[in-house]
Amino acid sequence: MASPIADVSYRDYDGPLFPARYRWWVIAKQGILLASKKRNLQVLSFVSAWYYVAMIIVLFFVNQGGTGGDMRSRAMESIMKQVIWKDQFLHGFSFAQLPLLLVTLILGAGAIANDNRSRALLVYLSRPCTKLDYLIGKFVGIFVPIFVILAVPTILFYAYCALSFNQYGFLRDAPYLLPQMLVVIVVSAAFHAGLVLAVSAMFDQGRVAGATYAAMYFITNFFTVAMAITWASADGKAPGPVKHLFYGSIDGLQIGFCKALLDTSGSRPFVGSQKGTEAQLPVPPPPMMAISLIILALIVGSAFLTWRRIRAVEVVG
Amino acid sequence: MNVVEVSHLTVRYGSFTALSDFSCEIQEGCTGLLGPNGAGKTTLIKTLMGFVNPQSGTARILGQDVVASGPSIRQRIGLMPEQDCHIPGMTAVSFVAYAGELAGMPSAQAIQRAHEVLEHCGLGEARYRNVETYSTGMKQRIKLAQALVHGPKVLFLDEPTNGLDPRGREEMLDLIRSISHGKGVNVLVSSHVLRDIERVCDRVVVVMKGQLRATGTIKELKAIQGQPLDVEVREPNNAFASKLMEIGAIVGPPKNNIYRVQLAGDVLKAHVTVQSAARATGAQIRGFRLAERSLEDAFLDAVQPGEPPHILHAPTTGGAQ
Repeated sequence: MASPIADVSYRDYDGPLFPARYRWWVIAKQGILLASKKRNLQVLSFVSAWYYVAMIIVLFFVNQGGTGGDMRSRAMESIMKQVIWKDQFLHGFSFAQLPLLLVTLILGAGAIANDNRSRALLVYLSRPCTKLDYLIGKFVGIFVPIFVILAVPTILFYAYCALSFNQYGFLRDAPYLLPQMLVVIVVSAAFHAGLVLAVSAMFDQGRVAGATYAAMYFITNFFTVAMAITWASADGKAPGPVKHLFYGSIDGLQIGFCKALLDTSGSRPFVGSQKGTEAQLPVPPPPMMAISLIILALIVGSAFLTWRRIRAVEVVG
Repeated sequence: MNVVEVSHLTVRYGSFTALSDFSCEIQEGCTGLLGPNGAGKTTLIKTLMGFVNPQSGTARILGQDVVASGPSIRQRIGLMPEQDCHIPGMTAVSFVAYAGELAGMPSAQAIQRAHEVLEHCGLGEARYRNVETYSTGMKQRIKLAQALVHGPKVLFLDEPTNGLDPRGREEMLDLIRSISHGKGVNVLVSSHVLRDIERVCDRVVVVMKGQLRATGTIKELKAIQGQPLDVEVREPNNAFASKLMEIGAIVGPPKNNIYRVQLAGDVLKAHVTVQSAARATGAQIRGFRLAERSLEDAFLDAVQPGEPPHILHAPTTGGAQ
């Protein structure tokens, strides 16, 4: 109960009201704020950057070992000179995929499903807020945290390499590496955000939506692994479709796009990836145009599905 | 001034017509939207909120067309829906503040206002609890708080007392009355509970099968055609009744010492006639008042099935008991 001296009578609000534009940003901001408070998300952010952290440690010690004049130092220096820098970013991105799945589930599985359950759409749509505002707000609320989680370690690793290993051809070998990686990260964040929102919009329970998205991820990933084994067992001479079907999964599409944009097939992780020793095993990159169109179609299709599911009338009764 | 103006509105869901050529005007103050379940009350609110596009007709709120104005008109409207609704994972204060921000309030003002509104709605102590842990009564209050936070000029309350115990119901009705009277908020309360409407509203709109059946003040709706008087006497007096009938009055049998008397002419003249009859017969008059029906009788009369819609601006049939 209110304090006996409190004035609890109703008073009209006479303060400012912003015009009914950019309402999507209020929704996005709320999503980002809620995400920033989730402890497990913070832990996963660090986990998703594990390859970059490991590489920083490895490169630091290899580089330190290469500063003397003895034979061991010359060997270390030789290793440094053979590092394929863009592949390190490809690996960093690839190894972040599984933690990124968990990040996406935490951020997006309940984004619309929980709103469906609690009929929150009535709260949104009874304000000067359109379906489009809602959709964009939810999308940005997932997209931005994923982008930050992927971009921050990438930029830090890039800065570390640019400042420390320029003498080993870091900037010369791939001058557009950072913008290319940022494009990859934007596409990846948009892809995850779009897909998980569409799945979330189909359900009334965040957990069910999360389980469905995870099932989609692992089932398609199993298919990718099967294609990879087929490719490897055929010693790179498997039929043509195999190398394309390898990218037929949620993370496969993203890795394929990354490979196509960086123009690399990939190689063994860490300093095992050396110039002139690219293994035959890595599947070659898919055609850039094709994979870009597939990803774009999936993002647009997901947005369309989500749009169809956002209906105020159903929840009004 | 009319707060809501609805003109020839037709809304269909597939082949089902929810509102058929519906027209009405809702004036300032507190208006009750009465009708049985499925009458079209919620559809009218949905249409006014812009959730449903009408097949024909227009609806204006505060002079703005609800279809043409788009979301901007919703900045001046608050909706308390019938069903539970909240945003999961939020405390009451963050939920109400968020609702305010969605309506266009700056963050700092939304937070401050959320505290004020929650205090007003009786949730001051529970404002830091997750809304999902609230009882039914508290959920009703938080729905009202989120509808009020941005200071709407028009408030739509859809079945606001649903699921409340008698005490909670009284408290909710007190809240609605306090908001709707003298605070500049025009309230449209949709309900099928006549007692609630009678308690808080000044005017009513009766809807049945998507058509307007009656509209006017509650007093008008309850009034009986011919304006009969209820005359309370100390004890039943046959001579008094006979005297009145001799003059030409229609007098009903006494009920709890009250005669229902209907006389031709205006009310003042009827008073004088009754008084003179009492003097002549020695009847002791204890009280006079204009006879009226209960709201329930008026409502049942308005929603009688099979009849064409009739607008009850004027009193309807009735008469001596």
